[in-house]
Amino acid sequence: MLRHLLHRLRIAGSIAACAVFLFPVFWMALTSFKQQRDVFTSPPKLFFTPTIETYTTYLRFADVPGRMLNTVIVAVGAGLVSIIAGSMAGYALARIPLRGARTIGTLILLSRGVPPIALAVPMFLVARNLDITDKHITLILAYCTFLIPYVMWLMRGFFKSLPKELEESAIIDGCSRFGAFFRIIVPISLPGILSTFIFSIILAWEELLFALVLTNRNAVTAPVAVAGIAADMLNGVNWGALTAVGTITVLPVVFFALLVQKWLIKGLADGATKG
Amino acid sequence: MAPAFLILLAVLAYPILYTVEISFSELDLATFLPSEWVGWDNYETVLTDERFWHSLKVTGIYLAFAMPLQMVLGFAIAFLVNAEWRGRGLIRALFLIPMVVAPVVAGGLWRMMLDPLWGITNYLLGLLGVGPLDWFGDATLAMATIVLIDTWRWTPFVTLIATAGLLSLPQDVFEAAEIDGANWWVMLRHITLPLLVPIIAAAFVVRWLGAVKMFDIVLASTLGGPGRATNVINLFIYQEAFRGLKFAESAAMSVVVLIITMVLTAIFLRASRQLEARY
Amino acid sequence: MSHLTPVTRRTALAAAAALSVPAAARAAVAPTDGGGLGTAEAPIALRMNANDAFAKMWQTVLIPEFNKKFPHIHVTIDGLPYSEHLTKTLLDLTGATPAYDLICNDDPWTPQIAQTGALLDLKKDCAAWTDADFDWNDFYAAPLAASEWKGVQYGVPLRSNMLLMFYNRTHYKKAGLPEPTPQLTWAEYMAQAPKLVQDVKGEGKVNAWAVSTYFARDQLTPTIWQAILNANGGRLLDKDGKAAFNTPVGVATLQTFVDLLKYAPPGAKSHVFNEELTAFRQGQLATMFMWGSVFRGTAIDPASTTLKPDEVGVQVMPVGSASAGTHRGIWSGEISRKTKYPRAAWTLLQWMSSKDGERFASANVGSFPARRSTLASKPEFPWLAPVFATLAQSYEVAQKGEMWRPRLAKSDAVQQVLADEVARATSGEISPADALKNAAGRIDKLRL
Repeated sequence: MLRHLLHRLRIAGSIAACAVFLFPVFWMALTSFKQQRDVFTSPPKLFFTPTIETYTTYLRFADVPGRMLNTVIVAVGAGLVSIIAGSMAGYALARIPLRGARTIGTLILLSRGVPPIALAVPMFLVARNLDITDKHITLILAYCTFLIPYVMWLMRGFFKSLPKELEESAIIDGCSRFGAFFRIIVPISLPGILSTFIFSIILAWEELLFALVLTNRNAVTAPVAVAGIAADMLNGVNWGALTAVGTITVLPVVFFALLVQKWLIKGLADGATKG
Repeated sequence: MAPAFLILLAVLAYPILYTVEISFSELDLATFLPSEWVGWDNYETVLTDERFWHSLKVTGIYLAFAMPLQMVLGFAIAFLVNAEWRGRGLIRALFLIPMVVAPVVAGGLWRMMLDPLWGITNYLLGLLGVGPLDWFGDATLAMATIVLIDTWRWTPFVTLIATAGLLSLPQDVFEAAEIDGANWWVMLRHITLPLLVPIIAAAFVVRWLGAVKMFDIVLASTLGGPGRATNVINLFIYQEAFRGLKFAESAAMSVVVLIITMVLTAIFLRASRQLEARY
Repeated sequence: MSHLTPVTRRTALAAAAALSVPAAARAAVAPTDGGGLGTAEAPIALRMNANDAFAKMWQTVLIPEFNKKFPHIHVTIDGLPYSEHLTKTLLDLTGATPAYDLICNDDPWTPQIAQTGALLDLKKDCAAWTDADFDWNDFYAAPLAASEWKGVQYGVPLRSNMLLMFYNRTHYKKAGLPEPTPQLTWAEYMAQAPKLVQDVKGEGKVNAWAVSTYFARDQLTPTIWQAILNANGGRLLDKDGKAAFNTPVGVATLQTFVDLLKYAPPGAKSHVFNEELTAFRQGQLATMFMWGSVFRGTAIDPASTTLKPDEVGVQVMPVGSASAGTHRGIWSGEISRKTKYPRAAWTLLQWMSSKDGERFASANVGSFPARRSTLASKPEFPWLAPVFATLAQSYEVAQKGEMWRPRLAKSDAVQQVLADEVARATSGEISPADALKNAAGRIDKLRL
C-alpha cells in the first residue's frame, strides 16, 4: 500500500518537476506567436491575437531551414564520431589496466579546463591553414575535440559500474576483448551509451562560439542565426523571430529523444536478463 | 587504442600550446601570430589585475551554489522520473528541452520573464504581495538569477545521466536486499549509492568542466552586471579578447584558469577514485 | 627562450601538431585594371560581410538595384552577429586568401583593422576608378570621418546612425510640461524629470517614467555619459591618447547620468538597447536616448509599437555648457587590400554611397544617408522629414564636439574599460569619481 502510494507520488513528482522546467519553454513558444507590441506588456498577456507571420515569412528570410540542416549534419556527425571513439576509449580506461593509458586519458580530460575562448582563435588558424574554414567537417572535428573527452569520461563511469564478471566470463568463453566489448558490454550499457549520445548531440546542437568563428555562410548553424537575431542593434530584437527559432531548434532533439526512448528501456531489459 | 589517444592528444594540444605561446608574447594582429617574446609580462599584468581576481571570486561563488544544487536536483528528479509508467519516456524526453534552447534565447527568455516591468514572474509574485524584485539590478539577486537560469538549463543533463545510471543498476541486488528486509534508507546508503559512485563522479566532473566555462548565459542576461557582480571569469576573458582585442593577456588568463581547473579537477578525480576503491 | 626567433618556435609548434602547414597561398596579385567590371561571359563574384541586422536586406533589395547598372558584378553578403564581427573580420582579412573582398565596419573599428595593413586607401589606390561625379565633399564631415584614420580615407559611409533624444508628446502634455526643443538644457531636463514619473493611464499608480537608456554593462553605455560630457565641453582623451575625462566636469556629468536612474523604471539598472526601446514603445517612458534608426519601428510600424506617429518626437540630446549632445554610429564600407577585383569592389561602394544609392537605400532599406544633398532633398516618406533635419543637425554637432568613440588602434579596449567602470557607477557599486579615477588609470596603462 505504502509502496503503491510512493509510486504514485513519484509519478506526480516527475510531472510537476517537468512542468516547472518546461514553463519557460511554454512561454517561449507562446511568445513566438505574438506580435512585437504584445511581447512586453504589463501585465503580461496570456491571450492575444496570435500571428504565425514569423514562422511563414521571417524564418525563410533568415534562412533558418538551411541553418537547421547544417546543425543536424554537424551535431549528428560529431555525436556519432565521438560516441564511437569515446566509448571505446572509456572502456579502455575503465577496464584495461594500462597505467600510461590512464594518465593520458586523465590528461585529455583535464585539458578541457581551458576556456573555450582561448581555443577559438587557434582553431580558426588551423582551419585557415588547411583551407577548410566554413565546412561541415571542420565543425564536426572541432566539436569532437571537446565531445570525445566528455563521452570518454561518462562512459568510463558507466562501464565501471558494471560487474567485472560479465566480460570475464565471456572472455573465458573464448571471446576476444573486442568481442566481449561489442557483444556483452555495449548491449548492457545501451541506456548509458544512448544518454551520452544524446548529451553529445545536445552539446553540439547548442554550441555557439566555435560555430561563430569557423563558419561564414555554407556551414552556419542555428545558434549563430539566433545570435544574429538577438544582436539586432538597429531596430530592436525581434522577439517573435527569436523565440520562433528557439522553438523550432528544440523540436528535432525532442523528437529524436522520443525515438530513442524505446531503446533506452530495451537496453535495460537486455541488461536485466543477462545481469 | 593508444594511437587514437595520441592523435586526440595532438589535436587537443595544438590550440593549447598556441595559447601558451601567445601568453608569453605580444600578438601581431596583422597575422595573429606571436611577434615578440615578452616573458612573464602578460602574466604579471593579469595577476596584478584586481578585476581578474574579482572574476575568479565571482566564478567561485557561482560554482559553489550551482554545482551542488544541480547534482542533488538532477539525481532527485532522476529518481522521480524513473518511476515506471506509460508517460516515462515522454517526460524524460521533455526534460531535455532546457538544454537545447540556445543560450542566447535562454538568456533573453529569462530576461523577459524576470523583467520588473513586463515579466510574468514579478506579476505572479505581485499577486502574492511579494516584490517587486529587481532580478538583474540587485547584485546578490543577479547572482541568484544566474544560478537559477544555469540550474534550469543544466539540471536536465545530470538527470539524463542519472536516469541511465539508475536504470542500469542490477535489479536482482535490490530484490535480494528487499527479501532480506532492508528499508529504503539502507538500500540507498549501502547499495544504490555505492553502485552509483562512478556515475555520480563522472556526471559531476563533466558538469563541473562545463560549469567552469559558463559565460553565454551571463552574456545574454546580466552582461556581467550589475556593475560587475556576475562577471564570471570566462566572460571576462571573452570580453578582453573579443571586445578589447587583448589576445595575449587573455591567453595568459586562460592558462592560469586552465591550471586552476586542472588542479581542482585532479583533486575531484582523486577523491572519486578513493570513493570507488572504498566501495 | 628569448633568443629563439618566432619562426623557430612556430616550427616547433607545427611539428608538434603537424597542423600548421600553410595551404599553398593562391596568388592574390591584382591586375593593373583592378580586375575590371566583369562581362556576361566572365562575371565577377564579390563577397562582403555586414551586420546580421541588415545583411539580408541589402542582399535582397540593394544588390538587385545595383545589378541593374552593373549586371556582371555578382555580390554575396554574409551577415555576422555584432559581438564577433570585428574579430571575425580581423581573422579573415589577415589570412593569405581572405573570403571577403569588402567589409562593413562599425564606427570605432577602422583604426583597428587599418593598422594591420589590410585595407585599400580609397583616395589613392582607387583614384583611377573613381567616377568623375562621385562628390566626396557632399558628405557631412562627421560620417565620412568614421572611416578615416591618420589622414587616409579607408571607407565610405553606408549606413549612418546618431544617438538622439526621443520623446513622447502625450507624456509631456499629461505632465503639463512644454514639449522639448533642441534648445532644452540638461538643467531644464533634470528639473522636469520628476514630473514625468507619473500615472498616464489613470490606474492610480505610477506607470510611466521619465527616461531610460543604456545603464547596464554594455560597450554603448559610456556613450550616453559621453554625450553629456561632450555637450559640456569635456573630452574623453587628449591628443596623446591619455585620459582627459577625470575632471570635475567628467565627474559631474557622470553623476548626471547616474541620476537619470532616479527617474527611470524599476529594473532600469540592467537596461540596454532592447529594454529601453521596448519600454518607450509600450508608452512607459517620456524620453529615451537612442539611435535614430529605431524611429520607424518606434513611431510608424504598428506591428512593433503601441505609439502613434504624431506622439513621437525626435531631436538632439539636451544642451550642456558647450552645445547640444549626440554620438556617432556609422557603418562604413571598406575594401580588402587582397581582393582580386578592387575596381569592382570600389564600384559597388561608390554606387551604395552615391546620391542615387543613398536615396534608394533610405527609401527601401531604411538606412540613413550621410550626404548633404540627400538630407536636403524631399524624403520618400513625410515622417522622414523631421528625422532628416535632426540627423543633419546632429552631424554638425558631432563634428564640432568630436562626439564619437576613441579612434585608436585599441579603440575597443578603451571602450571596454569605460563600459566596466561606468556600469559600476550606475549600479551604485562605486561613486562616479572613483569610477572615473579607475577608468583613467586603466586607460593610461593600455600603452596607447
